[in-house]
Amino acid sequence: MNDNGFAIRLRGVTKRFGKHTAVDSFDFDVPRGSICGLLGPNGSGKTTSIRMIMGILLPDEGSVSLFGADPDLSRRTKVGYLPEERGVYRKMKCLEFITFLGEIRGVRRAEGRRRGGEWLERLGLAEWADKRVEDLSKGMQQKVQFIGTVIHEPELLILDEPFSGLDPINQDVLEEIVRDFHARGTTILFSTHLMDQAERLCERVCLISSSRKVLDADLRELKAAERRGVVAVEFEGPDGWLHGSEIERVEPVAGGLNLFLRDGADHQPILERAVASGARILRFDLVEPRLHEIFVRHAGADAVGDAGVPGVSGAEAGP
Amino acid sequence: MMWRNVWAVIRREYLQRVRSRWFVAATVGGPIFMAALFIVPAYFAGQSDRDARDLAIVDGTNVLYERVAPKLEDAGWTVFEERWRADVVTELRLAAAEGTIGGFVLLDELTLETGEAILYASSRPSTVRQFSMRSSIARAALEYQLEQRGVDVAAMLQGGELRVELLSGAGSDMEDPQFAVAYLGAFFLYMVILLYAVSVMRATLEEKTNRIVEVIISSMKPWHLMLGKILGVGAVSMTQMGIWLGTGVLLVATGFPMLIAARPEMANLSELRDVLPGFGLLSLFVGFFVFGFFMYSGLYAAVGAMCNSDEEAQQAQIPVMMLLIVPIVMITGVIEDPNSTLAVGLSLFPLFTPILMWGRVASGVVPAWEVALSFVLMLVAIFAIAWVAGRIYRVGILMAGKRPTLPELWRWVREA
Repeated sequence: MNDNGFAIRLRGVTKRFGKHTAVDSFDFDVPRGSICGLLGPNGSGKTTSIRMIMGILLPDEGSVSLFGADPDLSRRTKVGYLPEERGVYRKMKCLEFITFLGEIRGVRRAEGRRRGGEWLERLGLAEWADKRVEDLSKGMQQKVQFIGTVIHEPELLILDEPFSGLDPINQDVLEEIVRDFHARGTTILFSTHLMDQAERLCERVCLISSSRKVLDADLRELKAAERRGVVAVEFEGPDGWLHGSEIERVEPVAGGLNLFLRDGADHQPILERAVASGARILRFDLVEPRLHEIFVRHAGADAVGDAGVPGVSGAEAGP
Repeated sequence: MMWRNVWAVIRREYLQRVRSRWFVAATVGGPIFMAALFIVPAYFAGQSDRDARDLAIVDGTNVLYERVAPKLEDAGWTVFEERWRADVVTELRLAAAEGTIGGFVLLDELTLETGEAILYASSRPSTVRQFSMRSSIARAALEYQLEQRGVDVAAMLQGGELRVELLSGAGSDMEDPQFAVAYLGAFFLYMVILLYAVSVMRATLEEKTNRIVEVIISSMKPWHLMLGKILGVGAVSMTQMGIWLGTGVLLVATGFPMLIAARPEMANLSELRDVLPGFGLLSLFVGFFVFGFFMYSGLYAAVGAMCNSDEEAQQAQIPVMMLLIVPIVMITGVIEDPNSTLAVGLSLFPLFTPILMWGRVASGVVPAWEVALSFVLMLVAIFAIAWVAGRIYRVGILMAGKRPTLPELWRWVREA
């Protein structure tokens, strides 16, 4: 097998629906074993891209390769695909449904039942195994569908908005499972419009907006490169030192202030001035930029639209 | 791998449907309903006037009793003969008053000449029973009179017989033409083909609208999914028909005789056997159904794949349904004149064959080669439809948005 280290590779992929261009010359790589987030607001082309990777849609231009070759059936069966629009056989019993999804991807029935049973146990649905899917709550159905997605132990997981519709507890459970798969070497691509989630989970992120790729990078490198301009401070005493040419504006947040520096300005003089002024400094923290902020910076606030996270709040910046 | 996929789809489709309440209700309820349709009237016929059933027959002619008795027994009475003697009427009046007999009938010379008789009864029997008694007696008298002149009364009263000798020497071993069987069979074929083909459409549409098809298509070829669906629903239909036919045969072959043995008054059930189709015709019926189902389910699968909602499908299926309705409209003409050029031609058009060819074989003599040819043509049609429908299915099943126009459909078929 021609491997070349990428589970997914898109080159110049374009898809049009009538006059509307849903995805515009999209280059995108997902290295094997990585965990990638495909981020962007609703309608930005995430789902269309994923459908092209899965061979559900054919690109008008460009090429898609899966495990280094054409995304044919033999390669697609090595993928676990959870589509955005949840589909289940409502009248089927949960375990049978899961077994069926395994069966069409080459998992023998007995093996499928065993694995399905274990998964239901793990996700707290053991007593629902013989209930019809339609009798479950929406969140539970989603978990059943997720089990169906991973029942054949795929090499690559493609999850389209996997967290939407789940309560926070189940979101955490799912996050944990995704991390587990990652730790075992499964390549994971998931799309989300929730920046928080991506920030917690991803090694790599690809931001798209209005059908175009905005960013595609290793998250840690991206954050390091983008780190600039915001200092979270807490202090007691005089505040005259807050006026200076380095500081563009000051924004109060819970438990302190966020200082937004001008481009290229250094934070060191501010600290020196503060100490000299006699203020008692409780915190002086260079804030890592949040993904949301990076996205806004690159795509413009309009593009983010309903991207779902309120403005910068440095005090609770991620790990 | 491929066949395991198809098998998984067949298995799922089959089990899912066979386990549904609807299937159980229709499969079990069908035969019960049919049996009830025959048994209940027979039961009531035997049940009514029960208390007035024991009849004494006083035969003054000495020739009528042996002829009347079996007819009255058939009609549900229990009869016994009383010798004619002077005080017999008084005695029997007393017995009737005490309730030991239901009543008595007087037959005399006048009965032999005019069919007139007297029934003494504590209450007036229903009109129907009066009629059956009257005609039994009149018939017995007529039989006696004709026998005296050497006439084969039984054959005559059966309505005679018309033997058809074909001048051309052509013929087939089909059973006797049966008008009702041809009609009812044609409608039944129409119903079951439509019922199961529409099931395939609904299943396709459901998978498409709830998007599960995206997951399935990422693991198997659309064509295999379609094949699995059709074979799965087909297996369900065969199960259901098998149960229906099986219980039907069992009922007629053993159930009715047992019932008649236990309750002689339900004897008229046995007449049913004479009008039911035989084994050869039944096999042809099943054959027409299977071939018809494969043709139409392919068409319906394509319709389901190109639509996005039930409403859309309702409209889009009309052209396909017309193909089934046209032969139903023409069936009367075809049954009346099964060997006209038009009837032969239409019945060889594969999509019309199941209904029209059935109408012909069940109502008349059709050369065996025509029947064989019609099956060959249907087989060709099945492959042609599978090819076209498979292509439409492949594109349509993943397509959202507007329903395709005819030119677009044609493009799907060409490019898929």
